[in-house]
Amino acid sequence: MTTAPLKLFSAFNSMAIPLLVLSLCLSNLCGSASASVSSSSETTMHTNNWAVLVCTSRFWFNYRHMANTLSLYRTVKRLGIPDERIILMLADDMACNARNKYPAQVFNNENHRLNLYGDNVEVDYRGYEVTVENFLRVLTGRHETAVPRSKRLLSDEGSHILLYMTGHGGDEFLKFQDSEELQSHDLADAVKQMKEKGRFKELLIMVDTCQAATLFSQLHSPGVLAIGSSLKGENSYSHHLDSDVGVSVVDRFTFYTLAFFERLNMYDNASLSSLFSSYNPSLLLSTAYYRTDLYPRQMEQVPVTNFFGSVMETIHTDHPYRYSKRKGSSKGKIEMSLDQAVQDEKRRILSNLGDQNIDSDTKCPMGSMIHMWNSILDEIEKFEDRDTLVYYGLVMMLPLLAVSSWLSS
Amino acid sequence: MQRVVAEYISDLGAEVGYQKFYPQSDQFNPLHFFSLPDPGTLQEKVNCSSFAINVIGIARAPRGDGKEAIVLVTPYNFEDADLLDALSVGLTYSVFSLLTQVTWLAKDIIWLVADSRCGEYSSVAAWLRDYQTPVFGSSSAADSSTCDSSNTFYGLKDSSVIERKITDNFRRAGTMAAALVIKVIDKSEPFEDTLSLYAEASNGQMPNLDLINIVNYLAVHRQGLHVKVQKLTSLINAKWLTVLAQIFEYVGVIARRLNPQWKFGIPAAEYVDGTATLASSLYNQALGVPTGPHGAFRDYQVDAVTLEFSPKVYSMSKGRHKEFLVQGGRLIEGVIRSVNNLLEKFHQSFFLYLLTSPGRFVSVGVYMIPFALLVTPLPIMAASLYTKTNNLDSDAETNDLSIYQKSFTWLNAAKKVLLVHLWGAIVSLLPYAICHLGVSTPAMNLAVWSMLSVLCYLLFCLILGVRSAKSGKAQWAVLKSATLSAVFIGLCLMSVVNFATAEFGALLLVPMCLVIYPLKSDLHAGGLMNFSRMACNLALVLIGFPPAAFILLKGALDGFHSIYVGDFWIWVESLWAWNSATYLYITMIHLPCWLLCLHVLLHTR
Repeated sequence: MTTAPLKLFSAFNSMAIPLLVLSLCLSNLCGSASASVSSSSETTMHTNNWAVLVCTSRFWFNYRHMANTLSLYRTVKRLGIPDERIILMLADDMACNARNKYPAQVFNNENHRLNLYGDNVEVDYRGYEVTVENFLRVLTGRHETAVPRSKRLLSDEGSHILLYMTGHGGDEFLKFQDSEELQSHDLADAVKQMKEKGRFKELLIMVDTCQAATLFSQLHSPGVLAIGSSLKGENSYSHHLDSDVGVSVVDRFTFYTLAFFERLNMYDNASLSSLFSSYNPSLLLSTAYYRTDLYPRQMEQVPVTNFFGSVMETIHTDHPYRYSKRKGSSKGKIEMSLDQAVQDEKRRILSNLGDQNIDSDTKCPMGSMIHMWNSILDEIEKFEDRDTLVYYGLVMMLPLLAVSSWLSS
Repeated sequence: MQRVVAEYISDLGAEVGYQKFYPQSDQFNPLHFFSLPDPGTLQEKVNCSSFAINVIGIARAPRGDGKEAIVLVTPYNFEDADLLDALSVGLTYSVFSLLTQVTWLAKDIIWLVADSRCGEYSSVAAWLRDYQTPVFGSSSAADSSTCDSSNTFYGLKDSSVIERKITDNFRRAGTMAAALVIKVIDKSEPFEDTLSLYAEASNGQMPNLDLINIVNYLAVHRQGLHVKVQKLTSLINAKWLTVLAQIFEYVGVIARRLNPQWKFGIPAAEYVDGTATLASSLYNQALGVPTGPHGAFRDYQVDAVTLEFSPKVYSMSKGRHKEFLVQGGRLIEGVIRSVNNLLEKFHQSFFLYLLTSPGRFVSVGVYMIPFALLVTPLPIMAASLYTKTNNLDSDAETNDLSIYQKSFTWLNAAKKVLLVHLWGAIVSLLPYAICHLGVSTPAMNLAVWSMLSVLCYLLFCLILGVRSAKSGKAQWAVLKSATLSAVFIGLCLMSVVNFATAEFGALLLVPMCLVIYPLKSDLHAGGLMNFSRMACNLALVLIGFPPAAFILLKGALDGFHSIYVGDFWIWVESLWAWNSATYLYITMIHLPCWLLCLHVLLHTR
C-alpha cells in the first residue's frame, strides 16, 4: 500500500507550502527588522547636499544672470558644499568677452569688491553644452557612458538638492540660450523620475526669472520645496546698473538672497522661513512666491544649511570597522553611506540563517520554531529542482480534493 | 599734410592707408535715379587733373573678432584748412588714441579723414564706394585704369619710418555697424555749448531712431550740451501758430480737469517749437537731399549721423580748448561704447519717423493717417463721377451692345492721361539736353526749358490730333475721374519711395483735383456759389503749378524781395544732382496731373 506514505507525504507537502510562506515572513520580520530599505523619505537619513546651479542665458547683455549664478556658487561653496557636489552650468562668455572692461573678472556689485570669477570656479557645463537635454540628463541621471563623474549628479536617497535656475523665463517656461525652452511640465516629470529613482530626499528649487512661480506650478512629487522671484504676470527686475562695466550686474531677488547669506556662516541655524520672509515685495518690485504643499516638514524647523551648506555630523568611534552584533533596532547614527549599511544587513541575515547562536533565541519570541523550520528549509534547499517540487505538490492536491469531497458526500 | 596725420596715426600703433579718388562733376544722368552707378563705369567721367586723397586709420580690437567696425569721419580740407577744421581733427584724434588703449573694444574703429576740397559728401561717398565694392583681379584700384597708372603718391612716400605701416592696399575692417561724422563749426552760440544733429539722408531715409536717442541722451544728461536739430525759424514767430498753440493748451487743461488721465496738453511754446522742427524735418525729408556727409552711409544701410559741435562764443578765444575737447571726446566715446556693446545693428527702433525735437518724434503709424485721409476721397470720387456719367448717357436702348460700348467710355480719357504723362517724362529728360547746350544763367535755362516743354506739348497735340471722338455729354467728368485715379496711383507710389514728398504733393494736388470744374459751366450758370467755386479753382490751379508753388513758399518763408527768377532752376538742379526722387515726382506726377486739371478747367463742349 503506497497510498498511505504517499498521502502522508502529500499532506506534508500541502502543509509545507503555506508554512513555507509563513516561515519566510517571520524570518524576514526578525532578521531584517533593522535593514529598513523602505523608500519613505521620513525614514531615510539626510546624508549629503548637492547643488545644481544653472544659468540659462548667454550674450553680454545677460551679464547679470551669470553674476547671479556665480554669486550663489560662491555662497554655497563658502557654506561648505565642495566642488564635487556642485554642478555648475554656465554659458561662460562674460569674463573673457571682448566687451568686458575688466577682463577675466565678473562682479555682482558696482563697488567691484568681489571678483566672482576667481581661481576656484569649476564650470561643469559651459558654453553651448547648457541645453535642456543636458539639464534633464543631469537631473535624471541618464547619461551616455562616456560622461565623466564630474558632470553627473550622483545623489542618492539621503541627498538634499538645491536647484537654482536663472535666466529669461515666462509663463510656464524657461528660455535656454535663446534657442530652446524648458517647460514646467518637463521639469515636473524630471523631478518625478528623480523621486522614483530615489535620487533625492528633499529638493529646493529656487528660480529667479520673470514669472518664476509658473515654472514649478506643475510639480507633484513629495519632498519638494520651491521658491520663485515673481508671480505669473510679474517681471523680475535687475538691481542696479554698473555704469563702469556698462550692464546690470545683479538681479533683485538674488541680491537680497545673497544679502541674507552674507551674514551667515557654516554653523548658523537660521531657518528657511526666515529666508523666505526676508523678501520684501516693495524692494523686489515683485512678489516672491514659495510653495510648501509638497514639503512635509515645517519651514521653521529646517535650517538653511540643509540646502545651502553642508554640515556633516561626525561621530567619533574608538575602533574602526568593528562589527557589532546588535539585533533588532540598530537604527543608530551611522556615518558611512547607505550602501555600506545595506551590505552589513545582508551579512547579518545570512549569519542569522546559518548561525546557531544562542543569542538569537533570547531576542526573538518564536526562536525554536523558526530554528526547526529553518532546518527544514535547508533540506528543501537541497532539492535540485524546486519547480518540480511545487508541481508535485500541486498534483498531490488533486487526490486530496477527491478524498475530501468523497468524505463530505 | 596727409603725411602728418598718417604719422600721428601710425605712432598710435594703428594701421594707416590712403585712398586716392577723383571727384565727379555734377552730370545729369537719368539712370542715376534708380540705382547707384557701378564703380567701373564712373571712369569715363572723371577729371583726371584734380584728385584728392583720404587718410584712413584703423584701430583693431585686440580681443575682438574683427567682423564689425565703427566709423568716425572727419571732413578736412587739406588745401585750405582753418582752426575749426583742425580742432575737429584734433578731437577725433584724441578719441581715436583713447580707443587704441581701452580694454572694452569689441569692434574695430575706422577713422576717415576725408579730403573735402571738392565737397565733403563726395569724398565720403568715394571712400564708401571703394570700401563696399571690392575689386578682384588685375585692376586693383578704381583709379588706376584711366588716369595715371602709377598709383604712387608723390611726396608721401619718403620716410622709411612710415613705409612699414602704410601700404597701398585698401584696408578694410568688416561690416560697418554705425558711423559718426564729426565737425566743429562756429555758430557764435551765446549761452552754451551746442551740438547740432543732422540725420536725413537721400530720399528721406533716416538712420535708426536709437542712434539719435543715444546721442541726445548722452549729450544732454551726461555732458550738459544743448542739442539742436534744424528748425524753421520763421514759423516760430508766426502769429497764427502761437494762437493755435494756445488753443490746444487750453483744450488740454480742460481735458485734464475733466479726467486726470487725459494728459495730452502741452505748453504753447513747446507746441510752437515742435511744429517748427516738424516742418523742417518734413521739408528736409521731402527734398530728398542729404543734409550732411552721413547721407552716403545710408545708401549702404549703415546708420550714421552728423554731429556739429559749436562751442560757446567766448570759450575759443579764452583758450578753453581742453574742456571742449574733454566734453566732446566723452560724448563720442560714450556713443562708440554703446554701439560697441551691442551684438547687432540697430533694429529695434523706428526707421520711419519725423523729429519734433531731439528727444521726441512722430512715428510712421501716426503720420500715415493724415496722408491716408487726404488720399482716400480720390478713388471714391473717381468711381462716383464715372458711374454718374455713364448713367447720364442712358437712352432708351439698353441692349447688350450698347452696354458693352458704354463700358469703354473711359478709354479716351485714359489715353489722354497716358499721353500727358509721357509728355511729363519728356519734360523730365529735357534738362539733360539743356545742360549739354552750354552754361548760361539759370533764368535763361529756365526759359529754354519752359519753351521746349510747351513746344513739345503742342507737337503732341498736333501729331495725335485733338479728336473728340465721342462727344458725349460731360466728357470732362470722365477725364476728371481718370485724372483722379492717376493722381491716386501716383501719390501712393510716391509715398512708398519718399513719404514726405507724397505728403506735400497730396496737400497741393488733392484739393485742386477734387474741386476742379469747367469754367464755362460755372460762367453759364452764374450765381454766388458758382463764382466762388470758379475763384477757388483758379487759385488752386495757380498754386498747383510747381514753379508757382515754389515761389510762393519761398516768399512766405524768406520774404518776397529776395526771389530771383532763376531760383527754381537752381532748386531743381540741386534735386537732380543728388538723384532725388522728388524731381521725378514733380515732373512725372505733379506736372501731368496739373495739366490734366487745366484741361478739365478749360473744357469746352
